Amino acid sequence: MTVTDQGLLEREKDSMTLNMGPQHPSTHGVFRVVLEMDGELVGSAEPHIGFLHTGIEKTSEAKRYVHVIPMTDRLDYLSPPGNNLAFCLTVEKLLQTDVPERANYLRVIMCELARMASHLVWLATHALDIGAMTVFLYCWREREMILDLNEEISGVRMMTSYIRIGGVAQDSTPGWVQSLRKFIEYFPAKIDEYERLLTNNPIWLDRTQNVGVMSRKEAINWSMSGPVLRASGVNWDLRKQRPYSGYEDFNFEVPTGKNGDIYDRYLVRVAELRQSREIVKQALKKLPVGPYKVDDNKISLPNRKSLKSSMEALIHHFKLVSEGVSVPKGETYVPVEGPRGEVGFYIISDGSNVPSRVKLRAPSFMAIPGMCKMMEGCFIADVVGIIGSIDIVMGEVDR
Amino acid sequence: MTSEEIIKKVKMDQGEAIESSEVNLCDSVLFVSKEAVRGVLEYLKEDPDLDFDYLSHITGADYLNEDREPRFEVVYELHSIDKNHSIRIRVGLDEEGPTVPTVSDLWKGALYPERELFDMFGFNVEGHPNLIRLIMPEEWEGNPLRKDYPLTLEDVTFSHNREFKQDLVKSKPPTR
Repeated sequence: MTVTDQGLLEREKDSMTLNMGPQHPSTHGVFRVVLEMDGELVGSAEPHIGFLHTGIEKTSEAKRYVHVIPMTDRLDYLSPPGNNLAFCLTVEKLLQTDVPERANYLRVIMCELARMASHLVWLATHALDIGAMTVFLYCWREREMILDLNEEISGVRMMTSYIRIGGVAQDSTPGWVQSLRKFIEYFPAKIDEYERLLTNNPIWLDRTQNVGVMSRKEAINWSMSGPVLRASGVNWDLRKQRPYSGYEDFNFEVPTGKNGDIYDRYLVRVAELRQSREIVKQALKKLPVGPYKVDDNKISLPNRKSLKSSMEALIHHFKLVSEGVSVPKGETYVPVEGPRGEVGFYIISDGSNVPSRVKLRAPSFMAIPGMCKMMEGCFIADVVGIIGSIDIVMGEVDR
Repeated sequence: MTSEEIIKKVKMDQGEAIESSEVNLCDSVLFVSKEAVRGVLEYLKEDPDLDFDYLSHITGADYLNEDREPRFEVVYELHSIDKNHSIRIRVGLDEEGPTVPTVSDLWKGALYPERELFDMFGFNVEGHPNLIRLIMPEEWEGNPLRKDYPLTLEDVTFSHNREFKQDLVKSKPPTR
């Protein structure tokens, strides 16, 4: 703005530039977007990212494979097991090893619990952004139970690092299975409770229907993935299309939407909460007995007990702890379905015990240009709703 | 289509544009020169039998420590939503002026990964509408994911021991 001779403020152009973030509660982290406003309407939106850049991809090039796993937890910090699984499956593909069936079932249970926890955080914060305070508190209540289950099986509430190369960190206990059974019996009534508050709520409908619409063709072209892609009517779920970790054994549906607006994304995610609970229920029913990690001491640590009696186990233990797993030369990519969409690691191995390149394909990162495309032409109040409906996690955007 | 069928079809239609191809751990992989990559990617998207309409990701790689030519590589990973198959395209780039053509007009999803290539690897993306740094600050020097960029000793401009750190960066040979 400039000051005229009469001392009045004069605008240089018709539009107004409005800065939003990085310190803004509804940007879900440190996301900054510069909006070019025409009155109440958004003309264009220019995203700025990188405020949470931690250099995890670069750091991984100096760490052994086992040491990368705890860092993958911190990428998509709302669903650590999904990242662990993507990384471990890629390394296992390079090693050409298969994990025991029990390990696969435990992995599936942990990933689906993480999906539920992640969708609960999304629903809580998204509803809070739009103005529904109660849902926020309700969702947090159930998420707390999932975090307790995480603690019981892995010792950690959030950054579990539970899925390891060649299996999982430790076996489940009967007590944990019982707590989990109790939780999945309790959970469906609570989903009904959230739906009673939101699904037919006229304020919620006004704020979400026909807002942030993305057509099927656009969603594919802008590389959207996960619930956002499915809400636009694309039946694409990597658990069905490219089954991994034994997902082909489970009977579940892939919910899709029609209009591709915020409301459809809400419906898809709530339906996914029910489907995830269904998968956990089936997995618990069929949970096989047997080892929880591969019986190959070059990949996973030998049992604690055998260290005291077997010289060979002691040597393997020493070698594995001091040197780590050596992965054959090559490069590969295994996509898995995280709560936000396609998560995958492109790993290049030079044959040593340290990866030569670790690249994360992050669904939130790929979704940001498309999200800003959605903002064009909408009201400023809907910007918050659109950001919430994409469910971005800045940890995996900036890496 | 299976990986073998995809490769067979691409080789038949795009003959000399494909340098070599392989099925690597069940994935179909094409090696393409940077001159031909734009045409091959256009063909992969438009061909009705292949129909690669979804760009999964684009990434770069630096093979400095492996003593091979060329040093850099750009990797494209594509899916087909309707046909449910995938392909990986690897493009080798020389050390001098690494450049790839943009594909952001074919897949809008390429806008960000291509900026990331420019930012983290210093590759030039020809025809990109807005080629500026993405993750690192605009005034940053160097390209962090190159292998000759040191991991731990960064130039700390606000530190009290700035000169000391700068000397250290200069004296330390580049390692990973």
